[in-house]
Formats: sequence, structure tokens, C-alpha cells
Amino acid sequence: MMRRESASAYGFLAFPLAVIFVFTLVPSVAGLLLSLFVWDGSGWPVFVGTRNFQALAADARFWPALRNTLAYVAGTVPATVVLGFLLAAAVHARWFVGKTLCRTVFFLPTIVAIVAIGFVWRWVLNDQAGLAPSMLRAIGVTPPNLLQEGPWPMISIVVVSIWRGVGFCMVLYLAAMSNVSESLYEAAEVDGASRAESLRYITWPQVAPMTAFLAVTGVIGALQVFDIVLVMTTAEVESGSTNVLNWYVYREFKAGRYGYAATLGAVVFALTLAATLAQLRLMRRSHA
Amino acid sequence: MSARRPSLPLRLGVHAAVYLAAATMVFPFLWMVLTSLKTDAEALSPEFSLLPESPRWSNYAEAWTSVELGRFCVNSFLVASVTTLLAGAHNTLAGYAFAKLRFGGRRMLFLLTLATMMLPIQVFFVFAYLIADWAGYVDSLQGLIVPFLASAFGIYYMRQAVAGVPDSLLEAGRLDGMSELEMLWRIVRPTVWPAIAALGIFTFVASWNSFFWPLILIDSRDHKTMPLAIAELSAGIYVHSWPVRMAAATILTAPLVLVFLAFQRAFVRGVALTGLKE
Repeated sequence: MMRRESASAYGFLAFPLAVIFVFTLVPSVAGLLLSLFVWDGSGWPVFVGTRNFQALAADARFWPALRNTLAYVAGTVPATVVLGFLLAAAVHARWFVGKTLCRTVFFLPTIVAIVAIGFVWRWVLNDQAGLAPSMLRAIGVTPPNLLQEGPWPMISIVVVSIWRGVGFCMVLYLAAMSNVSESLYEAAEVDGASRAESLRYITWPQVAPMTAFLAVTGVIGALQVFDIVLVMTTAEVESGSTNVLNWYVYREFKAGRYGYAATLGAVVFALTLAATLAQLRLMRRSHA
Repeated sequence: MSARRPSLPLRLGVHAAVYLAAATMVFPFLWMVLTSLKTDAEALSPEFSLLPESPRWSNYAEAWTSVELGRFCVNSFLVASVTTLLAGAHNTLAGYAFAKLRFGGRRMLFLLTLATMMLPIQVFFVFAYLIADWAGYVDSLQGLIVPFLASAFGIYYMRQAVAGVPDSLLEAGRLDGMSELEMLWRIVRPTVWPAIAALGIFTFVASWNSFFWPLILIDSRDHKTMPLAIAELSAGIYVHSWPVRMAAATILTAPLVLVFLAFQRAFVRGVALTGLKE
């Protein structure tokens, strides 16, 4: 009996696990090791120890890429989570009319490819005839070039990312809020709590595990930002003003500097690992 | 939430704020469609006009022929549907094994599978590319499918779903002399069908929209998928006319949006709530 069971188990697992091992696990281990080598894809990699990481520290393109990536994470994640929470709280109220409609509409950008989102917004924001600049001009404001000037390209990317992300957070918060017990609100009401107080002292702590989940998956996703930067600011990312880590990894790979690409990849991995460990700690605290 | 109703002005204010935000969700897409029906002169005119003077449907014909949209749609649909069907089967098989079968190394293999979920693509794509190259997958649709024929997340999700199937059902099947595969098909599959469907929608959307891996793997226009085509449109390859580019973008994004609007409950469940089931 037992033997038949384990034979079936290995049979069922063989192909799925082979796919994951061959295309994710093995390449990851090899990729992390490759950060200690110089290699252009032909011949044998040359071991250089930590020299790639030393080069990174002195690299004039690395620091702006890291700074832009971290600014993107800080700019998008908290705003998206908080706005998603507030929207969910509003729509979840019993007196709110059109809950399903709102949920559908806010969720719409989530299923549209990020490249398509970026492309549409590039048209809306473009300096020549874009909707946003022409509306600003109509009310007498001369806008900067939102996709090219100074810090504006990065700000535009952050705002569009928040716009795309709130619906996802809202839907997940709605799921979490529907599990909060009514009796907690009734008790608070008896104690004379205001609506804002109920939101702050009952809803927010009750959905804390969801907040931790959204914050950490948000940070991990934001650390890998790539598509939207490429599509909204094709030229600026080349010149460096909207350079992000993932773009830099891609450039180095395309240029055949596999070792250095792997070093940058290792940095992204370290940041991801830190965010994951932070999640575990947060979750433990919110359960305690 | 609270049984008390807040004052009328507050209720109106909240509705106004939420619906205004909702309008900004729709408007860029609406603007895309409106632009796609304008002439170049209208689209680039500094005068703001919402509607085109007379809708210029020929932009769509031009987009279809000059950008060869049909090919991109076929490629995307092929890759996404084959991936969804096969990955669904593989993830369910593996999820069943981890949830209900006893075998040596079960815990270790499961933890190893889970651990791969936190590996970002930046770490593994270089060697994944080299392996794909070695297997002859570079610049082919197989290369967009094979690495996604199973996923750690999908296996984890199906394991959680199958774990909820009562053991007594399986014992009954075992006593009837069913093989594991028969039990999976006749007992487990019907029971966890909602989870399989939700994961299927999640997989389809992820595959349809995926960008980084196809960008690295695909060179020739014949094998490009929809997101690669949009990125090239955005960069001004193919055509320069904004209305024609917007017509192309409309054609490329419309299929999934329409399916979403038709089955929005299933989509919300599939894309958002899939990540949550404890």
C-alpha cells in the first residue's frame, strides 16, 4: 500500500518539480555564484572573488539605480496600501451604493498588462498633445514635461503605479473586512466610539495581517519594477534619469556582462530576502 | 460595519470621492479608445476635444495591417492557453501528492518548492536563458511555455485546496480499488474545481501579460507576444500616428478586458483572492 502511494507521489511530482528545479532553483544557485565571476557567456567564467561587488560600490550608474528603485518602493507601496484601505472602508460601509460596480472598476487596471497601462499613460501625459498637460494649460498652469524633466518622470511613474495598484489592495482589504466580527463594532458603538475611531481602533488592527501581506508582497514586486519604466520613459531610462535596478540588470545582460548582471541580481535578491524576513517578523508580531 | 448611518453630507462626500476616483480608473482607457477614432490632426491639436468629429474607423484597419496584430494575438493566446491547461494539470498533480500521499522526502521537497517562491527573476534569468538556449528554446513559443508548466505558487495553492478534501472520501475510493490517478480525477478534481478555475484565471492573466521573460527570449517578430508588441508601439516602432497606435493598443487590450467584464466575480477570485487562501 505504502509503496504504491510513494510510487504515485514520485510519479506525480517528477515533471512539475523538474520544471521548477531546472528553470528556477538551479539557475538561481548558479546565478548567485556567478556574481563572483566575470563571464561573457563563452569559454569558462573567471573567478574574481568579491571584485564585482567592489566595482558596484564605485559604479556611478549603480547608486542612482538603487536610489530610484528604493524611491519607487517608498513612493508606491505605503500610498497604495493606505488608499486601498480607505477605499475598501468606504465601499464596505452598509450605506454605500454600488459596491460591486466600484470593485469591478477599481480592479480593471489590475488585469491590464503593465506595458499597456504605461503606453496609455504615456499618451495621456505626453508634452506635445497629452490630455493632462493640455488641461493644465487650459487652467493657466504651464506644466513641466512630465515624462522628461527633472524628477517628474519618476514621479509620474510612481503616481501611475499607485493608480494601478489601489484596486488590488482594495479587493483584498474588502475580503479581510468582511471577516471582522460585527460585535466588535457594536461594542465600540455602545462605548460611544466615533466612526473614525472605529476605523482606527477596530478595522485597522483587525486587518493588520492583510496590511503586512500587502506591504511585503508590494515591496517585493516594487523592487522588480521594470515594464512601466521601460514603456513610459524609453529614452530617459537609457540616459539614466529613471534607471532602476532591474533595467540595469537587463542592460548588463544584453551587453554580455553576465557576471556583473548576476551581481546586480544578487543585490535585488538580498533586498527581497530582507523584505521577506521583515514580513515573517511582522506577521509574528501581529499574531502575538 | 456600523449600523448607524452617518449624516447625509458625509455620505454624499464619500460617494463623490469614491466615484471620482473610479472615473479616473476608466478615463485613460476611454481616452485611448477616443483617440483611436481621431485623425492625426485632431489628436495632436492643442485644442481640447473629447469626441472625434467623425469616428475614423480606418485607423483600426490600418493598425491591423501595418502592425500585423493578428499574429501577436494568436501567439499570446496560444502561449497563455497551453500554459494554463498544462500548468493546471501539473500543479494539481503535485498539490495532490504533497497534500494526500505519504512518501520519503515529502517535507523537504515541499519546503524547497516553497523557498523558490522568493527568488526574484533577476537572480535566475541568466542561467534560465542559457538552459533555454541549450534546449533550443530561444526565440520560440515553447520557450515561453515550458518554464511555466508548473509553478511553486500553483503547487502550494493546490496543496492547500486538496488538503481540504476529506480523507474519508479518498479512503472510500481506495477501498473500491481506484488508482491514485483515478481518485484524483473522479474524487479530488470535482471537489476542488473552484480552486482549479481560480488558479487557471490567475495563470492565464499572468501569462498573457508577462513581459520580462519574453523580452529576453524572443527576437523575431513572428514569435512576439502582445506585451512585446505594445512596448514596441510605445517606442514608436511600426507606426508614428498616435491614433493608429491607440487603435492597436485597443485591439490588444480589449479581449482580456471584455472577458473580465463578463466574468468579473471569477476574475476577482482568481487574480486577487488566489493569493490568500490559508
